[in-house]
Amino acid sequence: MESIETAETRPLTRRPWFLAVAGLGVVLVLGAMWFKIFEPIQVLPRIRLAPGFSLTDQNGAQVTSEDLRGSVVLYTFTYAGCEDPCPAPEATMARIRDQVDTVDLGDSDVRFVTISFDPANDTPEVLAARAEAMGADGEEWIYATGAEDLMKPIIGSGFKTYFEPRDDGTFAFDPALVLVDGWGVVRGEYRYQTRSPDSERVLNHIGILGEEIRNSHGAAGLAYEAAHFFLCYP
Amino acid sequence: MNRRLRTLALALAAGIGLALLVVTVVLPRFQPHVFSGTVIQSQTPAPTVDLITSTGERASLSDFEDQVVVIYFGYTFCPDVCPTTLSTLKKAVDKLGDASDDVQVIMVSVDPARDTPELLGEYLGFFDPRFLGMTGTEAEVAEVATVYGVFFQAEEGTVDTGYLVSHTANLMVVDREGHLKLIIPPDATSDQIASDLDYLL
Repeated sequence: MESIETAETRPLTRRPWFLAVAGLGVVLVLGAMWFKIFEPIQVLPRIRLAPGFSLTDQNGAQVTSEDLRGSVVLYTFTYAGCEDPCPAPEATMARIRDQVDTVDLGDSDVRFVTISFDPANDTPEVLAARAEAMGADGEEWIYATGAEDLMKPIIGSGFKTYFEPRDDGTFAFDPALVLVDGWGVVRGEYRYQTRSPDSERVLNHIGILGEEIRNSHGAAGLAYEAAHFFLCYP
Repeated sequence: MNRRLRTLALALAAGIGLALLVVTVVLPRFQPHVFSGTVIQSQTPAPTVDLITSTGERASLSDFEDQVVVIYFGYTFCPDVCPTTLSTLKKAVDKLGDASDDVQVIMVSVDPARDTPELLGEYLGFFDPRFLGMTGTEAEVAEVATVYGVFFQAEEGTVDTGYLVSHTANLMVVDREGHLKLIIPPDATSDQIASDLDYLL
């Protein structure tokens, strides 16, 4: 007599419901692994809040962190009295500015801001001269400084960039570029101690930010949040 | 042979049925919480706040350890934005029920010249007596505001004639571990705020 397989005698691994559940589990796990390993979407980490500030630019006009809200902003820090050999992230900034048109940011735009930590000497006129030498137009790229007692909170605590006046009137400082999104959140920091910030890398990161801005709504927005969750960072 | 085919068909049908069930019923329940605010994955502790409270003593963020802290920058003479935000916050906190004991709302004054600790306490009492006001010297307040991404500026006028203060109106949420976790825009509803806070508790 032929033996008949019944639900009771069939091994667990051959029951339809078990196969279905196991298959589903495998698909979900593989999907998550695929997402993490191949990172189909990359995002920049949301590092910390950028500082709030009110500064005066090279035209003598006020510029605040609220004015820049909604724009992607790249910051550098220096002082006009800085002479050669002066570490000049402004040169990197100029290269990025020249190529930034190749990046698609949707409705958003990129602004460039160089903040001087030497307000005692860097009057709007002095800043204007420096800005002209670097090719900053005062619209897309502005030079600005603010109240002396707020320079440490803004540049030191806020942008985490070290600077210290020396006795001879010059400054010791760590040259840096800081990338901030339209929400006022720091998304990228480029410091020379670790790796010279090349314009290619920063431009690439601005491009990643652009992708995220253009895909921030609906299902695509959820996928980008998933990329944050899985730490898909460049 | 026939039996094998039937088993296969059954397995396939069961698989499709299960997948449908998972997608329509189970997955939505496991949907990740979608914050209405912007999440910050900062691994460093939130910047220090060390000011005079509306109850008259000095306090800092570390005094609210193990609580979710909502920090708002405003001032008592504020004509429209602050009262709206504060009453939205009050509604949001009330929606949390008993869990609201673990939430501390702090309003840091951006108008230290006029907002004395007593005035702050009286003003916040109108909204919720559990809300805490904080103020300090002009310089102290400016430092705290700066590191929290808040810009503020007094407009034309003197203490006698009265003046307005422009300021960033976002809410900053510090989680139980003391990390700055969320930035909530001022136009968020009380439901959105309550759901975000509830998730963090």
